Amino acid sequence: MALQGISVVELSGLAPGPFCAMVLADFGARVVRVDRPGSRYDVSRLGRGKRSLVLDLKQPRGAAVLRRLCERSDVLLEPFRRGVMEKLQLGPEILQRENPRLIYARLSGFGQSGSFSRLAGHDINYLALSGVLSKIGRSGENPYAPLNLLADFAGGGLMCALGIIMALFDRTRTGKGQVIDANMVEGAAYLSSFLWKTQKSSLWEAPRGQNMLDGGAPFYTTYRTADGEFMAVGAIEPQFYELLIKGCWGMLQFPSQKTT
Amino acid sequence: MALQGISVVELSGLAPGPFCAMVLADFGARVVRVDRPGSRYDVSRLGRGKRSLVLDLKQPRGAAVLRRLCERSDVLLEPFRRGVMEKLQLGPEILQRENPRLIYARLSGFGQSGSFSRLAGHDINYLALSGVLSKIGRSGENPYAPLNLLADFAGGGLMCALGIIMALFDRTRTGKGQVIDANMVEGAAYLSSFLWKTQKSSLWEAPRGQNMLDGGAPFYTTYRTADGEFMAVGAIEPQFYELLIKGLGLKSDELPNQMSMDDWPEMKKKFADVFAKKTKAEWCQIFDGADACVTPVLTLEEVVHHDHHKERGSFITSEEQDVSPRPAPLLLNTPAIPSFKRDPFVGEHTEEILEEFGFSREEIYQLNSDKIIESNKVKASL
Repeated sequence: MALQGISVVELSGLAPGPFCAMVLADFGARVVRVDRPGSRYDVSRLGRGKRSLVLDLKQPRGAAVLRRLCERSDVLLEPFRRGVMEKLQLGPEILQRENPRLIYARLSGFGQSGSFSRLAGHDINYLALSGVLSKIGRSGENPYAPLNLLADFAGGGLMCALGIIMALFDRTRTGKGQVIDANMVEGAAYLSSFLWKTQKSSLWEAPRGQNMLDGGAPFYTTYRTADGEFMAVGAIEPQFYELLIKGCWGMLQFPSQKTT
Repeated sequence: MALQGISVVELSGLAPGPFCAMVLADFGARVVRVDRPGSRYDVSRLGRGKRSLVLDLKQPRGAAVLRRLCERSDVLLEPFRRGVMEKLQLGPEILQRENPRLIYARLSGFGQSGSFSRLAGHDINYLALSGVLSKIGRSGENPYAPLNLLADFAGGGLMCALGIIMALFDRTRTGKGQVIDANMVEGAAYLSSFLWKTQKSSLWEAPRGQNMLDGGAPFYTTYRTADGEFMAVGAIEPQFYELLIKGLGLKSDELPNQMSMDDWPEMKKKFADVFAKKTKAEWCQIFDGADACVTPVLTLEEVVHHDHHKERGSFITSEEQDVSPRPAPLLLNTPAIPSFKRDPFVGEHTEEILEEFGFSREEIYQLNSDKIIESNKVKASL
């Protein structure tokens, strides 16, 4: 597998970190998840392919155990707010001094700097601060966050996995690890670069929910069926739209309504 | 940069492919985009850092040019439906025979096999087929696709970039390239694994739009402010919820239990009434710096002016004064260096690229006059 032989230490958290580490495990990395004392089960449900160790990082001897694990690991993935690792004497300067090949991945909501970097938040907050949430939602309604997929998973876990593998690739040439500041606000924004790149185009001319791709177009939306289920329509190009119309109206044509 | 020295040939398409290639370019790869004859401009708008060559792949001599480019490249990225490349005699067997190190990335909607693999589609269709779309949307409404972000970009372009870089990493050990079947249906599903993993939990007990994370909870949604703007609330944990209630000027002992789902509709109305009484700026005064998980819903324009983004430099401005997000994530030693120049014109670098790839001036002249290639060099102003 692509990540055979790569060892990862994941400090347990919710959604983004666990997903990132699960991706690495799926592609062959050996992932050790460090759980807190007293945790009864894995809230994330994303433990596939991992092993779990319970360690009290708040105790200096616990932190020392983690340092020994990191000496022999390729990747450390920490999901905490700015400053937490440093407070535990587990910041990148310390761990990378002991292992210069260590890739120290920091996956947070707001990032390792900036006025919001010490605040709590969740997917919807990161998506809101990124600018992206303002574009999503039906006409006349408030902006709508699509579950926790865009910030937690796409802009968070997946984006961080991308960074980790780029760092691993870079390390094959430099022999050195590095620190990754992966945060969900910037991840969600970068993922959605297309929105900024087309801001001046006619694609987003109308108010939210009235454009082609955000629910305004009859040929790019979902419809309810007779049995309470749904069909998705995405017939943008004329030749596809033609077939959509044929498919719909063909079935609606009653013999008595035909004109000769 | 992390991908210094990596060369990519991107066959032009919409959204997913261009975004994938842009990510590679941002992180240092040299990306050549192959445009079709007659294309007047880049529809994708995601041409940052690339160069453009116009080539008629449908002509055997055009396909032969592409094969020469791929002999000296690390990655080929093709966005077509199943069978298209094979029909052009440009399938992976041929190209990898000539260059076993080539990473042949196939980024499609439905994949390289399966009953839907020859059909046309767009983001909403792939999202629908993945199962994910069925979970997204407000109570009492049809499922709602969040623009084209989940399938085109997250499950498509980004997922494919991940695969390409994994293949590059793998190649450092094996010396060989490989074929990547990156498709948006499976990408969107895998991205959303959490939904399947929590299917049996109480997280999705209620109908769509009535659960905690899909719009049902009063403490995990957006609210309209007095000035027609919006605030986002994500106060799940009790200690954050406490601060939310405080900030709203409400008393928790006068309210139903946070997790009492039967009371959620009523609570939403209550919160909405409170939020409607102050402007977005006033709410930011109250909640900025607090752990209440309440943040403004910034617009694409506002982000550049927000303190947090200014301090971090989260958004970049090109030479043409266009604002876009800085590439993520931040790699501290080998950061992405996105190009600040304007995007390439279609066919702007045709000749320059072919020369670099070892074509002689005579060959280039012949290809041009036979309309296998097109060159739209920008004339220097005097």
